[in-house]
Amino acid sequence: METDPAFSLRQVATRCGVTPAYLSRVERGEVAPPGEETLIKLAHDLGEDPDVMLAQAGKISADLRSAILARPQLFAELIRAIKTMPDNAVLRIVRDVRDGNW
Amino acid sequence: MPTLENDRLVFRFPQIEEDARFSIDFQRTLRIPDSDKTYSLPPGLGSFPLRHVEDHPQKLPAPTTARGGVILPIWQAEAMWLNFHNDGPDWGLDFPVAIKVAAGKINAVTGEGWRAGLHRDPQDYLVSPEQPWLDGFAIEKGVIRQFVAMPLGDGYSVEEQLTGDAEWGGLQISVFPLKAEVWQAKRRAWEEEQKRRAERRSMFMEEPIACYSMPAPMGLAAGGRMRQIIHSDPFNIDDWDINAADRVFITLLHAKDWKGTTGEAARNQPPTAKEYSDAGLPWFEYYGKDQTAISGSTKLSGVKSVANLFKQMTGATLPNSQDVETGKPVRLGPGPNAPRPVRSEGSWDR
Repeated sequence: METDPAFSLRQVATRCGVTPAYLSRVERGEVAPPGEETLIKLAHDLGEDPDVMLAQAGKISADLRSAILARPQLFAELIRAIKTMPDNAVLRIVRDVRDGNW
Repeated sequence: MPTLENDRLVFRFPQIEEDARFSIDFQRTLRIPDSDKTYSLPPGLGSFPLRHVEDHPQKLPAPTTARGGVILPIWQAEAMWLNFHNDGPDWGLDFPVAIKVAAGKINAVTGEGWRAGLHRDPQDYLVSPEQPWLDGFAIEKGVIRQFVAMPLGDGYSVEEQLTGDAEWGGLQISVFPLKAEVWQAKRRAWEEEQKRRAERRSMFMEEPIACYSMPAPMGLAAGGRMRQIIHSDPFNIDDWDINAADRVFITLLHAKDWKGTTGEAARNQPPTAKEYSDAGLPWFEYYGKDQTAISGSTKLSGVKSVANLFKQMTGATLPNSQDVETGKPVRLGPGPNAPRPVRSEGSWDR
């Protein structure tokens, strides 16, 4: 973030609608992380995955939260069932089989 | 869209029935001898692994990637059968589906080229739960020729014999649910029957509850003869929802190329029919519901079997094609309470 002038703390803060001073304090862990909207802006600006960025701030996105809250028992069961599976096994579970040209 | 779950293709139609699903796994099995004798059902020897095509775009030919679907490793001259699982929304309430199966885009029931939709006269599809599995190409009424994998381009596959081309290989599957209104009527009838039963039970309290480099593509050729009925459709052709169909292309890869493609080791070759029979292990016979069987395909009955072609091409006898003693087969079915046994472990597979 510091090496490319386009990604200086000041530039990033300006693009994401926060003050450089605030972003600096967030970076140093002196204040609580910003809200979801700002974190998603930061993720897009820095080329990071928004879900990963939110997770680093101890949050989950609103769409995931509402999906879980809509069917809490089902999703709780699902997450507990797959939480120890390796990534590739989880990916196999959640992904559709893509159709192509034939 | 179908999903891939634990080496099964799973089809759901939540717009029609939230709690039902239909799935298919592909069972390894021994290759039955390719002779004039008609064999009983061999066992399952565990599921073939299935992987998403799009997980290995750099390792697969462009046409395979473009077709989407899944890949499956299979040895040359290895046999397979399709194992259908029908998980209805409740005990005793199946969720019927029509299944169209093709190998190299040749319909396994009629021998015709792949066509969208469902057709009668002749019926070009199977119906689950009536049809619990499919082991091969329907060549006569009550007889199939086993699915046996051979390298595409060597002239053995049914596709090459019927079209002269080695273009597609693999398996193609399309699954159709009933139309919502037909399903709802079936469901209502079942619910009313359950209610009547409950009333009878409450009256008598005795009635028991019913319980229930680039990898080499492979094509499917016709192996030995096996007794297997293709059941006729108990529904009307218009009862099926053609627009709700899902389909999958299953590319068969030579098992020797599986590790190079996926990084995973392929399993050993299955036992021969002789090894299996010498071990005193059982063969099976299915007794389905009392239902009519459809005729086999005249096109498919004219297809040459692997052993015949091997003899013709090489002058030699295909290894492991001598007849074996199978003993009295074990009776199976009907119904989901009598699945075909699967032996996933064996001395041949260590």
